Amino acid sequence: MRTEITRADFVRLGLAVATAPLLQRVARAAAAAAAELAIMQTEAPRSMDPADQTATLTSGVLSPMYEGLTKFDENRQPGPSLATAWKTDDAGTNWSFDLRPGVKFHDGTPCDADAVAASFQRHLDTQRGLASSGRFRAVIADVRANGAGVVFTLKSPYPAMLRLLATANASVVSPTADKTGTLGRKAVGTGPFRFVEWASGQYVRQEANPDYWGAKPSLAALKWTWTAEPGVMNMAVHTGDADIVNPLPPAFAGQLKSQWKIGLQNHDGSAVYWVSLNTQMKPLDDVRVRQALNYATDRAALVRSLLFGYATPANSPLAPVDLFYDASQPGYPYDPDKAKALLREAGVPDGFSMNVAVQAPQSNIAEALQGMWANVGVKLDVLRMESGVWVQAAFGDPEQKAKQGLFSALASWSTGFIDPDQQFRPLYGSKNWSPTGPNLGFYKNDTLDALLDRAAATMDPAQRQPMYVQAQKIVVDDAPHVLLYIPKDLAAIRSDVQGVWMLPGGQLIVSSARRA
Amino acid sequence: MGRYVGRKLLALPLVLLGVSFLVFGAIRLLPGDPARIMAGDQATGEAIAGMRHRLGLDKPFLLQYGLFLTQAAQGDFGISIRSKQPVLSEVTRRFPYTVALASSAYGFAIVIGTVAGVVAAVRGGWVDHLVMAMTILAASTANFWLALVGMMVFAVELDWLPLLGAGSPAHYVLPTAALGLLPTAIIARMTRSGMLDALRQDHVRTARAKGLRETVVTLRHALRNALIPIVTIVGLNFGGLLGGAVVTETVFNWPGIGSLLVDSVRDRDYPMIEALVLLSVFSVVIVNLIADAAIALLDPRLRLG
Amino acid sequence: MRRRGNLILGGALVALIVAAGLLAPVIAGSAAFAQNLGNAMLPPSAAHWLGTDQYGRDLFARIVYGARISLFEVALGVGMAMAAGIPAGLVAGWFGALTDEVIGWSTNILFAFPGIILAILIVSVLGPGLFNLLLAIAIFSVPVYVRLTRNLTLALKQIDYVEAARSTGASTARVLFQHVLRNALPPLLVQATLTAGTVILAAASLSFLGLGAQPPLPEWGAMMSSARDLLGVDNDLSLFPGLAITVAVLGFNLLGDGVRDLLDPHRGVRG
Repeated sequence: MRTEITRADFVRLGLAVATAPLLQRVARAAAAAAAELAIMQTEAPRSMDPADQTATLTSGVLSPMYEGLTKFDENRQPGPSLATAWKTDDAGTNWSFDLRPGVKFHDGTPCDADAVAASFQRHLDTQRGLASSGRFRAVIADVRANGAGVVFTLKSPYPAMLRLLATANASVVSPTADKTGTLGRKAVGTGPFRFVEWASGQYVRQEANPDYWGAKPSLAALKWTWTAEPGVMNMAVHTGDADIVNPLPPAFAGQLKSQWKIGLQNHDGSAVYWVSLNTQMKPLDDVRVRQALNYATDRAALVRSLLFGYATPANSPLAPVDLFYDASQPGYPYDPDKAKALLREAGVPDGFSMNVAVQAPQSNIAEALQGMWANVGVKLDVLRMESGVWVQAAFGDPEQKAKQGLFSALASWSTGFIDPDQQFRPLYGSKNWSPTGPNLGFYKNDTLDALLDRAAATMDPAQRQPMYVQAQKIVVDDAPHVLLYIPKDLAAIRSDVQGVWMLPGGQLIVSSARRA
Repeated sequence: MGRYVGRKLLALPLVLLGVSFLVFGAIRLLPGDPARIMAGDQATGEAIAGMRHRLGLDKPFLLQYGLFLTQAAQGDFGISIRSKQPVLSEVTRRFPYTVALASSAYGFAIVIGTVAGVVAAVRGGWVDHLVMAMTILAASTANFWLALVGMMVFAVELDWLPLLGAGSPAHYVLPTAALGLLPTAIIARMTRSGMLDALRQDHVRTARAKGLRETVVTLRHALRNALIPIVTIVGLNFGGLLGGAVVTETVFNWPGIGSLLVDSVRDRDYPMIEALVLLSVFSVVIVNLIADAAIALLDPRLRLG
Repeated sequence: MRRRGNLILGGALVALIVAAGLLAPVIAGSAAFAQNLGNAMLPPSAAHWLGTDQYGRDLFARIVYGARISLFEVALGVGMAMAAGIPAGLVAGWFGALTDEVIGWSTNILFAFPGIILAILIVSVLGPGLFNLLLAIAIFSVPVYVRLTRNLTLALKQIDYVEAARSTGASTARVLFQHVLRNALPPLLVQATLTAGTVILAAASLSFLGLGAQPPLPEWGAMMSSARDLLGVDNDLSLFPGLAITVAVLGFNLLGDGVRDLLDPHRGVRG
């Protein structure tokens, strides 16, 4: 009797173990037959309203369902989408767009001039408090329907208008859905895929839109999932639980090369990582100290060991993919002796103590800086914070940071891809001091401010180019940031999936994906 | 017994009230600003102020608490900041997954733990040594790491089991093992010592003397006595199990309330954290109550209080 | 026989951890902290017995140094819980009545929180860091000590010599600390040994959730949780700290079991 209990138990256990792989295969076969593409990212989407979020990965989830007036093509250039043609006046402040006729939202509402104008007016309405509106309000003064088209009036000429309109935040949403207030939870756009379900904590599912105006998608459905565990992402693409994982942690990229089942997408990124130094706190108010920290940073070693080679050391506040990036900027070579000499000159020969606020995913970078800077006598305390706490600390005003003794913050910025202005004025313009903007170290240079204002309002690329080269030089010399590196945008994609590409910054474009 | 349970039931609202005030206060002490988080890293100050107003976070603390209590009493826990869904519907959608995983883990623990404990106690010798060594080892390993290794071996290398999520029964195997391991070890140890005690006791000896078959003796009498510590442990350990579920669900992308809690704390989703902590406290109290009642049923001599 | 075995094995493992912790500066020295990115993630060799980590630091040195931190965790985590729980339990058991009710209620409320969930809330409020983590662990372990001490006090109150001391007019504090506490101490210490392992594991779990020790502290849980992102690339980096945790927890558990069995071979002590 005694032995029988255990035996029966073993039989049952054995059955479970034996049938599990079978169930497994059945489940997979079913998924594959449905021509569904499974995409796994590192975080859940923040909203189904494209205007009410500023997260690259959320934009990726939304992009198959929404369209803007313009869109980026595979060469990362803006082209027609819901707008078929456009023109601007000589001053560059009036833009009018012709709309594609006969397009309907997924809920049946016609996508006409009124709908498009209403979609942008949401950004201009300060009462709405939509997360991405600041970027549009800085540029657009007014938008209105004009016959079958829409007309934008800008505050000042804006050369990157077409690129700004191609971003996910500028997507056109159904005015009907917007009025009911459900847009944050249920997406309603005009895109080739339409929203099916957002299962809390599990997935977002989208299906092909049979009424799409353009080329019908090859896949029947898309399923977006997420995990915060890098190891799990890597496992998921190996088991086929995910066809695409994005972003792929660089540690796993090297291994994929030897995998015939899985391919690596490796694109030049646009996110520039930096440590923003609080220029109002001693001794960081001394430019020599800031330069010393730059010389004490071994970017090549960072890239080689912690990013496994999948990054480019930063020599400029712009990323190489950004317009007007200047490859000839010398940046700061690794030179600890020079760093020590500069610290001596600045009157801190024995070094000093400081801290850096960092979010968990980048704490390894901060930990490496801790080791490097210790070699020149700078003791760096790493304050590893949850993202919400980090945001509050990093975006404090000068008084708050002085009180809390916050010396620096490690982060990145990636919108230089839209236009260099989107990288320069937010990060280095004196009007964008935290908490208003992301100039976290309260850097101020009047020459630079004037130069940036002029460059942003100049339409002619040939005239803008030298201005931005000059701006890059000023920022490198003044060293308000310790510029670190620009990571590659990495994604792992199973080999039978084709037609997937990425925008600089890591936003996936999967609308035209197909299975081989 | 009826009086005891009644008293506990009456006390329940008071405990929940105390807990709700603690949680509500603590959450508002949390550094980090949900408005900032929702607006995103690259948002402007103006957008954040707008967001804060939209979320009702610009009201005074006591007013917020008062509103919370009156609404909670009517079953309305507010709107989740992150998902923009009513908290209650979100929680009711995800709670069953945690209940299912917890039951599965406890089921696993009770079956395997009891069998191992009985076998160890009855067989003795090297079997006993082996079982005890394994239980101690199981209680000494960090479960998240074991879970990751388990995924790597059984889902990736061997491809026997699904990696993530909660679909088929096969999806339960790895999370159940990861979550159930510690209670299995504890129950095995409790069962073993309970059995050993019971086997020494008079009524078992008497039963044996009466000529009943040994296995019947073992199972009916001894196991019945050993059940008391098992039920006690299930009650006492339930809080620990819920805590373990937080970690296990995070690793396996299990759509229960444990992973929801981690996300909600990270996003400072105030209404969601409040509801989840209250729910977990509520379940701990209820499970303990049931365990107490079960013990009283198993052994009427046991005085409670 | 087996019981003595537990005691000896547990004692030996704990002694090993204590020795490593005490001698860490001698054995490990600066190797636990000195980075060399050029030597990152080397396999085990004669120079680096367990290889090197992501920053080129010697893994063996870090694990040895981690023993010191784990001991600190145990001492502080258990110590703080005892420091708060024992006096409360003494007072509740001794004075009874309303005092007992109030303390009982407070522990009930605290006890109703699942430990990890309470710790997540506390650490989120106080900010991540080793001390705050231990404080959180201590807070959720307090009820166990309160209950155990209270029950022991209730029992000891009835014993003759405590009654005798009371009747000779010794002050309450004196009776409580000299007579009651002294006799309650052995079971409390057994409980402490048994919770020691829990403290290390809870610290590891909270590190996993990103609420643990700050870099560059070689805390085992933090090491394991940062190395889990490299699982599949370099498994040694999470394996060895994981083994260290298992050995330490095993040691404390065996020692606690052994001592408990020595004191009372029939009954288990639970809070």
